[in-house]
Amino acid sequence: MFSPELKKGSSEMLLLSLLESRPRHGYELGKLIEARSGGRLTFALPTLYPTLLRLENRGWIKGRWVEKAGERERCFYRLTRDGRRVLAEQRKTWREYVDAVNDVMGLDAKGISRA
Amino acid sequence: MRDWHAFVRERLSLPDLIAEREARIVREIAVQLEDFYREARAAGRSDADADAHARQQIVDWDRLAKDLRLADAVHLRPALDRAIDLHTAARGGQPGVRTMALHMMRDARYAVRQLTRTPAFTLVVLLTIALGIGATTAIFSVVNGVLLRPLPYPEPDSLVLVNEVVPQYGSFSVAPANFLDWRQQNTVFERIAAFNSDRAAYIHKDQPEMLVGATVSWDLFDLLRIAPAIGRTFRAEEDAPGKNAVVIISHGLWERRFGGDPAVLGQTVNLNAAPATNIGVMPRGFQFPSDGEYWRPIALNPANATRGGHFLGVVARRKAGGTLDQAQAEMKTIAERLAVQYPANSANESAEVVSLQDRVVGGVRPALLTLLAAVGVVVLIACANVANLLLVRASVREREIAIRMSLGADRRRLIAQMLAESLVLALAGGALGIFFAYLAIPAVKSLGGGSIPRVGNIGIDLRVLAFAAVVSIGTGVLFGLVPAWQASRTGVGAALKEGGRSATASGGRWVRSTLLVAEVAMSIVLLVGAGLLLRSFVKLTNVDPGFRPERVLAFRVALPNASYPEEHQRVAFFDRLLEGLQRIPGVAAAGMIQSLPIRNDYVLSFAIQGRPAPQPGSEPSANHRVISPDYFKALGIRLVRGRTFTNRDVEKSPMVAVIDEAFAARHFPGEDPIGRGLDIGNGSDGFYEIVGIVGSVNYGGLDRAPNPTMYVPYKQDVFSTMWMMVGTGGDPAQLTNPARQALLEVDRRLPASGMTTLATVVDDSIAQRRFSMLLLSGFALLALFLAAVGLYGVVGYSVSQRTQEIGVRMAIGAQRRDVLRMVIGGGMKLSVLGLAIGLMVAVLLAKLITTTTMLFGVEPIDPMSYAATAGLLAMVSLLACYLPARRAMQVDPVIAMRQE
Repeated sequence: MFSPELKKGSSEMLLLSLLESRPRHGYELGKLIEARSGGRLTFALPTLYPTLLRLENRGWIKGRWVEKAGERERCFYRLTRDGRRVLAEQRKTWREYVDAVNDVMGLDAKGISRA
Repeated sequence: MRDWHAFVRERLSLPDLIAEREARIVREIAVQLEDFYREARAAGRSDADADAHARQQIVDWDRLAKDLRLADAVHLRPALDRAIDLHTAARGGQPGVRTMALHMMRDARYAVRQLTRTPAFTLVVLLTIALGIGATTAIFSVVNGVLLRPLPYPEPDSLVLVNEVVPQYGSFSVAPANFLDWRQQNTVFERIAAFNSDRAAYIHKDQPEMLVGATVSWDLFDLLRIAPAIGRTFRAEEDAPGKNAVVIISHGLWERRFGGDPAVLGQTVNLNAAPATNIGVMPRGFQFPSDGEYWRPIALNPANATRGGHFLGVVARRKAGGTLDQAQAEMKTIAERLAVQYPANSANESAEVVSLQDRVVGGVRPALLTLLAAVGVVVLIACANVANLLLVRASVREREIAIRMSLGADRRRLIAQMLAESLVLALAGGALGIFFAYLAIPAVKSLGGGSIPRVGNIGIDLRVLAFAAVVSIGTGVLFGLVPAWQASRTGVGAALKEGGRSATASGGRWVRSTLLVAEVAMSIVLLVGAGLLLRSFVKLTNVDPGFRPERVLAFRVALPNASYPEEHQRVAFFDRLLEGLQRIPGVAAAGMIQSLPIRNDYVLSFAIQGRPAPQPGSEPSANHRVISPDYFKALGIRLVRGRTFTNRDVEKSPMVAVIDEAFAARHFPGEDPIGRGLDIGNGSDGFYEIVGIVGSVNYGGLDRAPNPTMYVPYKQDVFSTMWMMVGTGGDPAQLTNPARQALLEVDRRLPASGMTTLATVVDDSIAQRRFSMLLLSGFALLALFLAAVGLYGVVGYSVSQRTQEIGVRMAIGAQRRDVLRMVIGGGMKLSVLGLAIGLMVAVLLAKLITTTTMLFGVEPIDPMSYAATAGLLAMVSLLACYLPARRAMQVDPVIAMRQE
C-alpha cells in the first residue's frame, strides 16, 4: 500500500506516539498501528522489533519485563523523558513538513485539493 | 503448542552481542510469536494453522539477525572476545600463540575493570608498589650513573692507574724518575702517561680568575683516545722543558672566555703571567683527571728528575689481550727492581695497578650497594604487603571464583587471570614509581653532591627503565602468585555454602601471618642498620676535631713564580695580605696554612736530633704544616705548653717548630720535647728547635685519629700557595667580599680561589656518610610504615572476620578491655615474632660485616641501636593493632549476632 521507505521514515515516530499515553509491549504496538490505521499501515515483527531496540538504545524508550495478572511475562516499553522531548520535536517537524508539502501541492490542511 | 523459545533459539544466532542481550532478544521475539499463535487460536483457527501463521511472521532469519546486530550495536561484545572466538574457531579449538596473546590482553582488560571497581584498594596497592619501586629505581639510577656507566673514554676497561707503594704510607703518588723508568721498561702498556694537577691565575678583562688544570704527558689524549674538538693535541717534542709553552683548553673555557670562536687557535694565553700558545680545544664534557679547564705538557726533565718527591699521577692503557694481573705483576717487578737499584730514595718501594673505574668510584661502591640492598628489602616488604592485601581481596571474591569454577572455568585460566591482575597493578605501580623516582632524583643528587663521584651521570636512562620494568614484573609475579594459588585452591562446595568459613579465611590466615612476620623482620633489619649509621653519624659529628671550624673563612692564594720568584717577595706579600685581612672589621684573627685542614694532606719524614739515623725507607713521618703565627688563634687550637710562633720567627732567626700532643706522645713518650731538635724533610738546612706543644687536630678527617703533626713558621719555609684562615666572631661567609678586597689591595692580578668556610669543609667530609645515613633512615622508615600498614591490615581484617565471635564473647560477659586485649594480643604476637627473627637476622648480618667502614665508634652489635629499634617497632605495632582493636570494642553484640 505504502512504499517501505515511506513507512520506515515514520515508524519511529509512530512507536513513540503510541507509547505516549502508557507503556505497551511489542506485539500490542504492532496490532495498534494496524488497527488505528484501519489496516492501511502494517509493521511486521522483523521491522518493528529492531526499531524498538534502536529507540531503547538511544534512551528514548525503556523496556521492562512485567508480569501482569493472568498473563505471561512481557517486555513493556515506556517513553523516557528524552523520548517525550524527541516526540514533541518530531511532531512539530512532521507538521511543518506536511504543511510545506501541502502548500506546494496545492492541498489544504485536510489534504483536499484547493484547485 | 510448540516451544517458541526453542524455536527462536534454533533460528536466531547473535554471537557478536553480549550474552544477556542475545538472551533477552530471543525471549522477547519468542513471546511475540507466541502472541501471534495465541491470537490466531483465539480467533478460532486450528493449531496447525495458528502455528503456521505465527511462523510466517519471520521469514528471513538471517536478515533479522543482521538488522538486530545493527540496531543493538551498542551491546556488541568486546572486539577482543570476538577475535578470540574467531581465532579459536579457525584453529579448530586448538589454542595458538595468537590466541594466548589475545587471552592475555583480555585478562588484562578484565583486571583493569575489576581494579577500577575497587578504587580505594587499588590506590593503596598502587601507592605501596610505587613507593617501593620508586625508591629502588632512584637508588638504582645512582648505582647506574656512578658505578655501572662506563667512564667517558673509549674502551675504558683497559685504562688503569699505576701507583707507587711506599712502606710508610701504602698507595702513593709517583716520583718523576720512577715514572720515566716505568715508561721505558714496561711491556704491558700500550701507552703510559703522567699527570699532575695544576692551577694558574688567568686574567681576562682585568678580572683575575684561578683556573684549575693539569700538566700531562704529551700523549695522554692519545692514551685516552679522545681527539680535540678543534686544533691538535701535544707533540712529543713539546713535552720538554723550554718547549712546552703550549696549552689546550676545555670546551667550557673556550665558550666562557672566547665565545666559542675558532680563531682562539694560535692565540696567546697568559697563565700565571707566562705566555702559552693555544693549540687545541677539547670536546665538550671531556674531563681528566678531574674538572680541569686547561692542559699543559708536563715536560719532565730526564736529566734531573727527582726520585724522592712523589707527586705524579700515572694513567696507562693496557695492551689488548693483557690482563690486569699481568700488568700488576710486571709493574711490581719493575718497581721493586728500581727500589733495589736506588736504595737512597726508593728503598722497599713497590707499585700497584688499579682499574681507573675502580679508583674513581671504588670508594662509594660499598655504600651504594648497601643502599641498593636496603631498598631491595623495602620492595620485598611492599610485595608482602600487597600480597596480603590481595589475599584479603581474594577471600572477599571467593564466592565469585567458586561460582566461575563451578561453571567450568579452567583453574589455569583463573590463576592466569589473577596473575594478570597483579601484573597490571605492578606495571601501573611501577610506572608511578618511575615518576616518583624522577621526582626524587634531583634531591638524591643534591644530597650526594660533593660526596658521590660522577653525580652528573645520575638520571633515568634505558637501563634504569629496564631495571624498573623487570623489578615491577618480578614484584607482580611475587605478590600475585601466592593469592592466585591460594584462591584457585578454593573448594567449590566450601565457598558456596552460605556464610561458611571459607578456605582462604583459615589457610589464608596462616599465609598472611607468615608474610607479616617476614615484613616485620625485614623492617627490623633495616631499622637496625639505619640506627647503626645514625649513631655512627651522631658520634662523628660529636668528635672534637681539635679546632673550631664554625667561624672561619678559608680561601687559597697561589703566587705565580713569574711575578714572585724570590722567597722574600712571597713572605712580604703574605705579610701584607695577613695585615689587610686582620684590619677587616669583625676579624678576630687572620692566619694561614699551606694545606686546607681535612681536605689536603702534606706529610714529610723527619729525624730527631740525637737519635740514631733510621734505615732509608723507614724514617718516621708526620704531618707537616707551614703556618703564620695567628693560625692557632684563628682556628682556636689550644696551646698546651711552651709558646707558639711570633712575628720574630723569621728567616734569619733560629729555626723553630711546634708539635702537637699526638706527636709528643708518639715520639717523645715520657720525655720533654721542648728544646729538642727536628730535622724535617731530607734536610740539609739544620734542625728546628721545638718551642711549644699544641692540641692535636684531626687533619685527616673526623673519622681518623689525629696524626702526629709538626708546625713551622712560614717565614722559615715559605710556600707559594697558602690557605688563608680568617677567624671571626660572626658569620664567616659575610667576610667573603672584604677578604677579596683585601687581596686586590695587595695584588690586583691575583684571584682568591676555593672560597669556603671551614664548617663547610668539615661538613663535606662527612657528606657521604650523611648521604648513606639519611637514605638508609628514609628506607627504614618507609619499611616501618609499610610494615605498620600491613599489620593494621591483617589485624583489621581479622577483626572484621571475627565480628560475630566478638559479639558472642561480649554477649556472654566479655568486657571491652578483654576484647581490646584479645585483638591487640593477636597482632602483637606476630609483631613480636617478627621482631625476634629480625633481631636475630640483624645480629647474623652484623657478624658478617664487622669490617665495614660505614660505622664509626659503634660496634655492629650495638645494644643501644637494637633496643631503640625494637622499642620503636613495638610502639608502632601497638598503634597499628590498637586502631582496629578500638573498632572491635565498639561491636554491638546484638547487631553482630543478628548476622548469624
